[in-house]
Amino acid sequence: MDGTGFLRFDDVSICLGGREILSPTSFEVARGEFVCIVGPSGCGKTTLLRAASGLVKASAGAILRSGKPVAEPSREVAFVFQDYGRALLPWRSVAGNVSLALEAAGIVTADRPPRIDDVLGKVGLAKHAHKFPAQLSGGMQQRAQIARCLAQKPELMMMDEPFGALDALTRQGLQDELSRLVRDDGLTVLFVTHDLEEAIYLGDRVIALQANPGPGRPSLARMIDVRIERPRDQLTTKEHPEFLRLRRELFAFIEQGHD
Amino acid sequence: MTEHVVVVRAAAPPEARRRTHGWLALLRPWAFPFVLLGLYEAYARRAAALGSEALAPPSAALKALATAAADGSLWQATGFTLGTAAIGLLLGAVLGVSLGIALGLSRRAARLSLLSIEVLRPVPSVALIPLAMLMFGFGVRMELAIVAFATFWPMLILVQSAVQQVEPRLLEVSRVLGLSARQRAWKIVLPAVVPRLFVALRLGVAVALVVAVTVEIAANPNGMGYAMMIAQQSFDPALMLGWLGWIGGVGFVINAAMLRLQRAVARRMGAAP
Repeated sequence: MDGTGFLRFDDVSICLGGREILSPTSFEVARGEFVCIVGPSGCGKTTLLRAASGLVKASAGAILRSGKPVAEPSREVAFVFQDYGRALLPWRSVAGNVSLALEAAGIVTADRPPRIDDVLGKVGLAKHAHKFPAQLSGGMQQRAQIARCLAQKPELMMMDEPFGALDALTRQGLQDELSRLVRDDGLTVLFVTHDLEEAIYLGDRVIALQANPGPGRPSLARMIDVRIERPRDQLTTKEHPEFLRLRRELFAFIEQGHD
Repeated sequence: MTEHVVVVRAAAPPEARRRTHGWLALLRPWAFPFVLLGLYEAYARRAAALGSEALAPPSAALKALATAAADGSLWQATGFTLGTAAIGLLLGAVLGVSLGIALGLSRRAARLSLLSIEVLRPVPSVALIPLAMLMFGFGVRMELAIVAFATFWPMLILVQSAVQQVEPRLLEVSRVLGLSARQRAWKIVLPAVVPRLFVALRLGVAVALVVAVTVEIAANPNGMGYAMMIAQQSFDPALMLGWLGWIGGVGFVINAAMLRLQRAVARRMGAAP
């Protein structure tokens, strides 16, 4: 990790409808880092993610990616939405949905199939390329959305509670696959979740936000480094003393947040 | 007269219920019309025997229709009306769909045009017959213009609201993927509104048929409406009734075909089976 800050938040605050969602917040994300953002609902974690990708404008402060201010969504930044059911085009097959990202990037028709096969292979959907979203399970639909994002060849991936609507087993499987993909492709990830264990398990760093910011109560409440070696394992990592310590620390904070 | 009311169809009856009774269930909807026709046949025969020139039994109407089919006038008039309705609908639909998409995408354009639309839309399309007659004279062009006018509005309104209801998440997806405005229109908005577009088109077909026949009855000396008027004016109630039944039958078949098309399209565009 270099300390230059691939993605930088400089005193970013966001107001929506006259209410301050995010009080001035500063942090940096290094290239190749996996940063998880946790917090209770309504703490502005999704808003922060949307601002970082240019979908929402910050009310004050600056968001810099590679030193340039983020104004509009860019193809170098992929966004995985939580509601995969609505983010996929129901009239296109899995391959067609992936193809959309390539069409947007202006990739000529002949070059698309190998790239589609490549990303579908990465997420384990190679055999389901011709199925339509309605024919797939939730987990597979989310894989399809992740495949579409990978097809963009992003340098930064924003993930908004991507596994929030999935059952526990599917979620664990996808967590491990995501870790592997991120490691293989050297992606930088900003990952929003409300699940503390998921955040610690996936992240190099966990940022905890609290709701209802105000004077003396900043949005950014905690920032902890997760120094647990990779590759991680659903069983041994979650029994690791460091994992348990971090979980306790964050859990206590979340409990306090509910006063 | 052409009220543009959108009828929301109730879901089709459960498949299972339809299957259990088989042929009997298939015939059942026809029982009531046939009983009515039978009663009317008996009544009209008695009236005809008493010298009525206003009523004819369905059997006589059928015979008159067969004669018209044999001499070709049936097909010629039907072809004229359907052809004019189709081309008029095509004009109205192309204009309505393109403007509907534009107004659906731009809130500003929708605001600016709201007053003009609300003033023009309620004008009954048949009230344009005198104007259209002055501009185009008798014939195809006059009928086309009125059909196009009548179908333009429901297409415009339905397509506009369909575009406004495109899943906002999909528009965000198009933003983060970096689709151009043209790509967004062709790859996201248009496919997303196709199922609703076919609902609008089905309504447009019904409107086009009604308006075409009305224009023929009122002004244009061509087509099925005119043929029915001539039969009435030459005191031929059997032929007039034959035309009436024929127009109803043609409308029924076209509407049923459009309904099937609409459902097939909805399935293909990813609607839950």
